[in-house]
Amino acid sequence: MSRSWVDAVVAAGAVPASSVPEASAGRSDIEEFTGADPVEDGELQVHSLGAVQGLAPPPRAVAFLDGIELWRVVGYAGVTPIVRAHVATAIRRRGVDRRPRTVAYEAEELAITRLELLPKAIRRALEEVGVRVVEIAAEDARQPARALPAARIEVQKARAALERRVGERSLDALGTEEWLVVDGVLSDSAALSAHPRTLGVVKSHGAQYFEGAELERALTLPAGHRTSVFRPRSRGARREIHSWYLRLWPWEGNDLLYGLVRLEARAHPATVALASALSAWALRERAPLATPDRRWDRLLYAIHDVETYLRARAPRDLVQEQASRLPHARVAS
Amino acid sequence: MIDRRDPEPIGRVVATEQKPATPHQFHFWTATETTIGIGAIVRVEEPGKGEGGRIVYGVVTDAFAYSDLLTPLHDVVGAEGDPAQASESPTARQEIRLWTAAVLRQRPEEPLQPVPLGSVHVATDADVAQALRMDAYLGGAEPRGIPVGLYTSGGLEAPVYLDADFLLGPEAAHLNISGVSGLATKTSAVEFLLASIFEHFPPHKGRIAAVCFNVKGPDLCFLDQAATLDDEDRRRYERLGVEAKPFDRVRYYAPFKSDGVNLNTLRTHPELVGAVEPLVWGLREVLDYAEVLLNRDDIDAKADAFIDFLSDRVVDKPFDDGFGETHRVVTFSDLERLFRAIFDGLELAGGGSGGGGGGRSDTWRTHHIATIRKVRNRLSNISTRAKGLVTDDGPSSDLPWGRFEDRAVYVVDVANVDPLGQDLVFARVVSKLREHLERRDLGVDAVVVFVDELNKYAPADGPDTYVKKMLLDISERGRYLGLVLFGAEQFRSQMHRRVVGNAGTMVFGRMDSDELATPGYQVLSPATKIKLATLPIGELMVRHPHFTQPIFVRFPRPAVLRGRDGVERFPPAADLPFESAVVRQLVKLDARVRPNAVKDVIADRREDDVRRALALTRQARPQDAFAYFKKLLGARVAATPVPLRESVPPLNPISDEPY
Repeated sequence: MSRSWVDAVVAAGAVPASSVPEASAGRSDIEEFTGADPVEDGELQVHSLGAVQGLAPPPRAVAFLDGIELWRVVGYAGVTPIVRAHVATAIRRRGVDRRPRTVAYEAEELAITRLELLPKAIRRALEEVGVRVVEIAAEDARQPARALPAARIEVQKARAALERRVGERSLDALGTEEWLVVDGVLSDSAALSAHPRTLGVVKSHGAQYFEGAELERALTLPAGHRTSVFRPRSRGARREIHSWYLRLWPWEGNDLLYGLVRLEARAHPATVALASALSAWALRERAPLATPDRRWDRLLYAIHDVETYLRARAPRDLVQEQASRLPHARVAS
Repeated sequence: MIDRRDPEPIGRVVATEQKPATPHQFHFWTATETTIGIGAIVRVEEPGKGEGGRIVYGVVTDAFAYSDLLTPLHDVVGAEGDPAQASESPTARQEIRLWTAAVLRQRPEEPLQPVPLGSVHVATDADVAQALRMDAYLGGAEPRGIPVGLYTSGGLEAPVYLDADFLLGPEAAHLNISGVSGLATKTSAVEFLLASIFEHFPPHKGRIAAVCFNVKGPDLCFLDQAATLDDEDRRRYERLGVEAKPFDRVRYYAPFKSDGVNLNTLRTHPELVGAVEPLVWGLREVLDYAEVLLNRDDIDAKADAFIDFLSDRVVDKPFDDGFGETHRVVTFSDLERLFRAIFDGLELAGGGSGGGGGGRSDTWRTHHIATIRKVRNRLSNISTRAKGLVTDDGPSSDLPWGRFEDRAVYVVDVANVDPLGQDLVFARVVSKLREHLERRDLGVDAVVVFVDELNKYAPADGPDTYVKKMLLDISERGRYLGLVLFGAEQFRSQMHRRVVGNAGTMVFGRMDSDELATPGYQVLSPATKIKLATLPIGELMVRHPHFTQPIFVRFPRPAVLRGRDGVERFPPAADLPFESAVVRQLVKLDARVRPNAVKDVIADRREDDVRRALALTRQARPQDAFAYFKKLLGARVAATPVPLRESVPPLNPISDEPY
């Protein structure tokens, strides 16, 4: 899918626009839930990883899954925005040569708007070009201040669905000694959260599972340490999962969340047994640094590599920042 | 001749604002593991245009590798300061191999446009021919390609040809080869190229020969002897369409040593010395090039006028010295007698007007005695310093002017000759070549003159010598005559700009880093310079008028014996005693000659007489060499003592000049 559908709706009467809303390049947890049950210890404890070896034997191959979402307001029909979104997911498999190679890639382009608020000509244009249209609620679409957050949620949902679909499909091809590392939570997917060799690496910490002394222990975790394994209390579609915090880099001198990741693995006694080994393995993944990404303190390089790959394949007009916001030729004339 | 294969793409052109694609340069990336390198020729295809799309050929001139590392500090941090850990990271950083290529050719050539952002392929044989514009001279009714070597890259190998019209004239001509000494690359390259020229010189251009000056050691002394080649060399010869064999016709010329009978060359092994002809010149040969002998301070109109006078009015004709004696000056000895007669006559004439020239006592025939003394000293100097090359007395022995053979190499071995003598040999041989080529009576239509250590003869600085002026003349006008200069030197930067600048084809072997830092190499990329500084034996960088960029080629080892190998296989013979050397030369003329008979004849004879008789015999090449030689020596006559001449001290000093 190219930019052609945008041209079609503009030709049909939509006012062209080129607006990249704040935070359109990043994403956050869709759902937040709080509370956790202890699994490994009676209450959250700190475990040193100083003498812990990684997985034995080390996995011969590891697949890394990540996704991106990019979106931009490309037109208006009255005050109703027409959003162009691109979501993509890839899995890159790292073998013994330490070089990731793409084994799965899927991308989708969406138009996000409210059809009933569009003039007939623009609706017809959207139908004819064949782009998948995702609708936002009518009440949100009528209010520009609410329309864009609503569109953003739709984009995130589309990305999460795509990641889930690609991830689940890849499990069949996963070798017996091969792991799948997912950027983000596993608990969105029943298959991913139940698999014995999947690991979720969560960088954002919108959800808080502890309070008081336990919270302090979790957020002041020294570098090279992990917390006890716990079971996040789930809501909605979230599945049972085991999780624990791991500090990759010393936070002192930065902030509490600096270098802090939360790992997720299947809810199984074996996960508790493997928690330290998986943590030590994740610690090794600190190198090489995922710079120049600003989140490098929590971003594993191999995940960063997948993101780089996805951005390299994304539509250029969505990736590139606009140099200025001069009046559009058609409007200016 | 051309191998057509269509390899898979190996890269893709990329262009950014910082590194855009232009009509003359482009950038492309390849996989980290790739077979191409600096000097590789690539083909770019315009995407989506199929057969009708723009095709661009380029040569890789620079290469870059970098990763997504923002700052080296991040690598240190990631490895926790331990270099060993850096290589143990679970994931290898993304890295790129980015190449810069200079455009060799675009198809279509007009309109000239930036290189399309297309796929990049390793060049095939056909691509190499197109890229280097060789298609213009490899095909047609009269192909003119001269194989110079094999372009090799990415597992592909393609012959590279030079255009005979641009290597040997008339469009352009001359070849200059630079490179550090000691790798035998320069000499080897020229030997291979001469073999290639002899085999591929277009028939419609006529006959060709080569004159090679051997200026050091045994470099060119064994061109007729086969070297041992390995299979790879033979394969390269086959690929280039050149037969791996020594030269069929090689003629060697070397002066005598000061004894006048032993040849001054390293090719004196008994099996080989028979093919060496003596190079001996007399007064006439030297006088024509007397300017060579005069240094900068000597060059004046008076000396020139006197030399012209000798040449026009004195040499080879009866001449009255004005003091009552008639001379016929043919040899240096005759000339010396004339000089003595002049000096004696002037001394006797004193301050009066009785000088044969009718002038003052310090002037003879309008020439000042100082000028006469200067010319006399210079001329006698050459016969002393180049004794063996220049004969005081007797006939000369020279190259076969007018009888040059097609595809023959004439080696003039002056390695052990005094530098002044080398200059004389070089100046005279090249001038004679020019004269004959102008008259079209040399026997061939074109001659390649190979001169090693050319910087000695045409340095960038230093006085304007006769030899330098002559080289400039050849460089600028030789191509019209078929006189082609192949020069070799260690440092191109030390060469006269017009001599190297007029060389249509430039060849570079391994270069010294200091030399590469000189302005003449500014057009080369740093990577190309590095490649030049580390070039292996057998690989060259070639610039040719049809090639818009320098091209690296490999050439097979010459099929002729290298100098140092030749000396090992054919060790030079020790100098023979005078009698034995005379015997050897007579036996060479006539195998029936009995050594003892010769020794008996020359016993008690003056060596000068023997040398003169031998030279005349050599010149006449009679059927019965011994009889002829014996007749020339004449009957044994006791020497008549020369009466002492009463000396008359001059009344007034003639001159204070120091000559």
